[in-house]
Amino acid sequence: MKCYICAQQGKDTDAVAICIVCGMGLCMDHAIREEVDIWEGGYPFPSEKMEKTIPRILCPPCYEGLKGD
Amino acid sequence: MVSLSKRMLAEFIGTFLLVFFGAGAAVITLMISAGQPTPNEFNIGIGILGGLGDWLAIGLAFGFAIAASIYAFGRVSGCHINPAVTIALWAIKKFPSGDVIPYIIAQLAGASLASFLFFASVGPDALAIGGLGATAPFPGIGYLQAILVEAIGTFLLMIAIMGVAVDRKATPGFAGLIIGLTVAGVITTIGNITGASINPARTFGPYLGQMLLGGANLWEFFPIYIIGPIVGAVLAAVVYNYMSAETAT
Repeated sequence: MKCYICAQQGKDTDAVAICIVCGMGLCMDHAIREEVDIWEGGYPFPSEKMEKTIPRILCPPCYEGLKGD
Repeated sequence: MVSLSKRMLAEFIGTFLLVFFGAGAAVITLMISAGQPTPNEFNIGIGILGGLGDWLAIGLAFGFAIAASIYAFGRVSGCHINPAVTIALWAIKKFPSGDVIPYIIAQLAGASLASFLFFASVGPDALAIGGLGATAPFPGIGYLQAILVEAIGTFLLMIAIMGVAVDRKATPGFAGLIIGLTVAGVITTIGNITGASINPARTFGPYLGQMLLGGANLWEFFPIYIIGPIVGAVLAAVVYNYMSAETAT
């Protein structure tokens, strides 16, 4: 699989990841790795933020969309 | 987890809302029906307007305030807003011992402020006619009967909390709605028996308000609203844990 964004720019780069939202193939330059906090608990227990996070790889458009930027 | 002081603030506000809107609904019902003849001595004024519908309306006022508080503060403090719930969760080792007393202090303080602010909002009739929504056994209801009724009412509340919230297999998102409606149902049935406190803090606030604002001294009834709810809640938590415990096959 090739990087979709690079392909749009006329480049031919191998993909190393897939956006978890849209499925776009991404090279190292265009893959954005997010660390998502894990919360446990909630009514009737106070929520606690866990030390570990869940990694999530996104493409730039989905990242911007999800972040509301 | 947020700090204990923030969790106490959440318990304080949640219990404040419960008493202001719930007990306040009972006060307003009594004020609206004031002066109308009651058909029998078992009817003290709540029930004149719409029969059992009066109690349903009061129950829903409690229920909606509880639901709103659970959705707002559930992730912050757990939103117990009821010492019986806090003690029951502690009894089954789901709540740390060191947080029990601070939570109860916050709940009692929130309930007390609600009674004083309701009095300030409505005026002297809130005390003289509405009694600040204080609970007491209704005519013909004995002390032990009242404890039994409070215990059974709180049993239903706590078993619902266990089933829709504590149990990890419960469908998320429904706790506030279901628990609020459960409280409304309990109040509809036992409101005209004990006042349907099912929460020591809910009774404490109006009692303190009555005492400090020159109303009746009702403290002789307070053990009803401590013993009944705590026994009912602890029993429900223990029974639910026993029923839902699974053994490996």
